[in-house]
Amino acid sequence: MLPQLLVNGLIAGSVYALVALGFGLIYSTTRFFHFAHGAVYAAGAYLTYACWLSGLSLYAAIPLAIIGTAILGALLDIGVYRPLRQKGASSLILLLASLGLFTVIQNLISLVFGDDTKTIRGGAVTEGLPIFGARITPIQIAIIIVSALLILLCWVLMKKTKIGKAMRAVANDPELARVIGIESDRVILFTFALGSALAAVAAILISLDTDMTPMMGFYALLMGVVAVIAGGVGSIPGAALGGLLVGMAQHLGVWKIPTQWQDTIVFVILIFFLLFRPQGFLGKAVKKAAV
Amino acid sequence: MDYLLHILILIAIYTILVVSLDLIAGYTGLLSIAHAAFYGIGAYATALLSLHFQTNFLINMIFGAVGAGVLGVIVAFPSLRIHDDYFVIATFGFQMIVYSVLNNWVDLTRGPLGIPGIPVASLFGFDIDNHWKFLILAVLFAGLSYLFVRKLVNSPYGRVLKAIREDEVFAQSLGKNVNAYKIQVFVIGGALASIAGNLYAHYVTFIDPTSFTILESILVISMVIIGGAGSLKGPVVGAAVLVVLPEALRFVGLPSSVAANLRQIFYGSLLVLMMLYRPQGLMGAYDLRR
Repeated sequence: MLPQLLVNGLIAGSVYALVALGFGLIYSTTRFFHFAHGAVYAAGAYLTYACWLSGLSLYAAIPLAIIGTAILGALLDIGVYRPLRQKGASSLILLLASLGLFTVIQNLISLVFGDDTKTIRGGAVTEGLPIFGARITPIQIAIIIVSALLILLCWVLMKKTKIGKAMRAVANDPELARVIGIESDRVILFTFALGSALAAVAAILISLDTDMTPMMGFYALLMGVVAVIAGGVGSIPGAALGGLLVGMAQHLGVWKIPTQWQDTIVFVILIFFLLFRPQGFLGKAVKKAAV
Repeated sequence: MDYLLHILILIAIYTILVVSLDLIAGYTGLLSIAHAAFYGIGAYATALLSLHFQTNFLINMIFGAVGAGVLGVIVAFPSLRIHDDYFVIATFGFQMIVYSVLNNWVDLTRGPLGIPGIPVASLFGFDIDNHWKFLILAVLFAGLSYLFVRKLVNSPYGRVLKAIREDEVFAQSLGKNVNAYKIQVFVIGGALASIAGNLYAHYVTFIDPTSFTILESILVISMVIIGGAGSLKGPVVGAAVLVVLPEALRFVGLPSSVAANLRQIFYGSLLVLMMLYRPQGLMGAYDLRR
């Protein structure tokens, strides 16, 4: 029982880590909670489904959908968030606008595709491979490996490349970044595209393992938000660890607590972190403006 | 005719919700997306008490308000330590916890099956058993809530709330106990919202957790923001607009599932457009800018 729960926690945790990573990157460069990220995530899965329905193989559909989702993320920034930033909107206004966008995108998806479950899984459900007394399917192994690789890649991107450094500069101080000639609007646009692509990958991995519904994004977003806050906003290892913590808490909790409460555990973790350690376990203390 | 009365009753119920949330979000500046949780507590208290103990409308209302008041203390607590968008996330967590309790504590709430057969409201032996009578009751309570909140925000007490919204540290430096005010505001706002839940449960006589989701909370905060947070007439207008306009979709003859999606798309787009072009709302005084 326990090995299986650990494996399940690891699988769920890797997906949450990817969602948290995209959401966290966007938060750290723009300083607002981009709730529509959840709907962007669902759009990733449904774009794959649409490409696949139109006759493409999954190998063609998946890259197309990832690119499409990145473009969607970029369009949200250009169409809504950038004009709001230019008007000097507060983070609360941006948050409310993103709640509106979330509602619009999610309902567009269910309008076009319907509320029922869709799947892109091919073939029959196979029994997983036995490892350490747990069972894991090949696609689940792929989920863990792809997530780990992407997290590593992002970390390298942030630390070593020019655009990564620019992203950190904008995250640290947008004014100062502008002074030294970084075009913050372009950096933020890139962050939205990158974060949305990561969300699409997570959504596609999940839909290869289980199914998709229009509401899937909301759920993934919730877990991602908790992971970001628990791990520490703006920290890539933090997002990864936060995702794992949420996945593990959810699945190990089932050991002692009835299954239907597993999401409740996650929100209790959220409140706990917000109250006692809002900077997360890896984040730096949040600077609250002095008097 | 009953259809028209139904719309008016909904507007009255939402009026209670928006003025109570406006007190919290508009006047005190504590943006909360947990309002459906208070609403749900009022509705479930009403359903459970009147089915198990055959209590009447007013008793249900009192117990619902006490329950929501206790929840208000809990929800307000993070606001003492965290601010702005972090606080929004905390209220979001509370909303999810309350929803999952309503949905999962099957022994008490029957979970997703919901609670049918809630008796109609009865006041001093007089049954409120048709739309006309219920409309009068709902408007009475909506009016009382409106007047109560207006009285409150125009009093010296309300001026302290606005001071907290504008500058918390400054309010504190004048010797005001900011923490106590924040908790009180959540208790009052939550208790008022539970009255809306009480009316709703007696009106529809069937409740299930889907009426008290995060989307409901987002709808109520949208009504407040679109109407104009920090004014009282604004959110009431916002509630009326967001209840009435989507009803037009009903007359175009769309299937109900499509209409439900379009209604949500309408709310969402309206919220985005307002943020872009009129963040202070239709008739707002306070535009969430700092």
